[in-house]
Amino acid sequence: MTPQIIRLIWQSTLETLTMVAFSTIFSMILGLPLGILLCVTSPYSQGGIKPRPILNEIIGRIVNILRSFPFLILMIVLFPLARIIVGTTIGTKATIVPLSIAAAPFVARIIESSLKEVDPGVVQAARTMGSTNSQIIFKVLLPEAMPSLVSGITLTIINLIGYSAMAGAIGGGGLGDLAIRYGFQRFRTDVMFVAVVIILILVEIIQFTGNKISAHMMAKR
Amino acid sequence: MQIRLENLVRTYGNVHAVDGVSLSIPSNRIFGIIGLSGAGKSTLVRLISLLEKPDSGEVYYDDARVDNMAEKDIILRRRHIGMIFQNFNLFSSRTAGQNVAYPMEICKYPKEEIQARVHELMGIVGLEDRIDAPISTLSGGQKQRVAIARALACKPDILFCDEATSALDPKTTKAILALIKDIQKKMNLTVVMITHQMEVVRDACDQVAVLSDGKIVEQGDVKEIFAHPKTEVSKEFLSHLSSNAKDSEMIRWSESPARYTLKFINDKVDVPVISKVIREYNVDINILGAGVQQVSDEKIGTMVVDITGSADMTEKAINAFREYGIEVEEEKA
Repeated sequence: MTPQIIRLIWQSTLETLTMVAFSTIFSMILGLPLGILLCVTSPYSQGGIKPRPILNEIIGRIVNILRSFPFLILMIVLFPLARIIVGTTIGTKATIVPLSIAAAPFVARIIESSLKEVDPGVVQAARTMGSTNSQIIFKVLLPEAMPSLVSGITLTIINLIGYSAMAGAIGGGGLGDLAIRYGFQRFRTDVMFVAVVIILILVEIIQFTGNKISAHMMAKR
Repeated sequence: MQIRLENLVRTYGNVHAVDGVSLSIPSNRIFGIIGLSGAGKSTLVRLISLLEKPDSGEVYYDDARVDNMAEKDIILRRRHIGMIFQNFNLFSSRTAGQNVAYPMEICKYPKEEIQARVHELMGIVGLEDRIDAPISTLSGGQKQRVAIARALACKPDILFCDEATSALDPKTTKAILALIKDIQKKMNLTVVMITHQMEVVRDACDQVAVLSDGKIVEQGDVKEIFAHPKTEVSKEFLSHLSSNAKDSEMIRWSESPARYTLKFINDKVDVPVISKVIREYNVDINILGAGVQQVSDEKIGTMVVDITGSADMTEKAINAFREYGIEVEEEKA
């Protein structure tokens, strides 16, 4: 393996990390409020604290539609949006847009289900004490669900690593791009192998760290 | 804080969970509401504590109507209502002390005051050394103590106990009830205790209402209801209790079945009743067992006896007992 190739691998790894880091942040920014909204507006029986059936239905539908799109198609559909936001449809920066939007509904559902796992009795107690809805969300639901939220975020990051590799196939850069262009199209099996191993290591590190943080939180309870 | 309920109705689908309940809960007392599962206790407490609105009827706190207040005012009012639950419902993400701090945080108390009051309250419930303990490391009794401290944080005028001792063993139950009684006296609280356990009513309450099928079937002083239960539901509750009492508090020196149970309430009797009745009506009274039942702060003496003699005289003897204010229960053969 030439130094040139090694430099290329290093650069691709950085691109993947950039894509995953930023799309995690943006998908959280989009998905967190949606997830909270989905939980809060659901019926009382499902742990909602301010049921709004119509709003809940609309958000639920949008989330489901976005989630049922195959990622590759979603990327292509979102090219125009990427052009508006970052000015291009190719490269790492451009890929962050569809990645974030593809992961946001997933994040929303994960947050929703984590929040719904919170013991309804605890929420009732908070209500009897005169908590406002926003106090229940920020001082009860989110802290109580934190270990489960961390697991959810871990899962999201790992999914995004997979998505980002796929995004490479249509000009997104990163390790997926490298594996396809060098490993597949130029028959450099060794490059493909290295790219896959790096992705594997990234997934392992994220999963390990996520588990550790979640376990640490549980241990303090 | 006196609480008055006027004809409360709450229906779920076609189930009348609470069906026309009118009740006056006196200030600074421990008031019990007893009923079997499904009697409507939980719904009733949700209505009284403003967690739910009644379909019809009114709730008054000290003559001010509260059930029709705006949501914002209800939230503010709730901050001066304490509530403890069967499952404790503590925040697992917070330590014991932080749990107690929560109500004060949402009421925006200054930090130093919260700190001081957390220490004070944890001291009152006897857990000063567990302030930094995670909730999962506490026993059931300790959890309920933390819950009580949390309920008292914002100096409530009402404390609701929703089956607060149902998940605890008998010894812990006694300790928790003693704590609630103690706090009630010290803080001038109106305590409403919802329970299905007659022991709880007996050990802690001043007055009790018996709830059955969403209706109040009987209410009054606890010692009165223990002595003269009027309805089948109350008798049913008491019968569970007396079977326990026989084991623990009644001494039987003969296991042969007895027909009559005499109950001596208060100090109503200061004449030698039994020997007098024996002499006057020429009957034999065989005492098979006796004991004392503690009801709230009152003691009820109980005696299990057989009365033998002519049917006519036996009946007169029983009436004589009743005239002396002794409750006579006849076991139907």
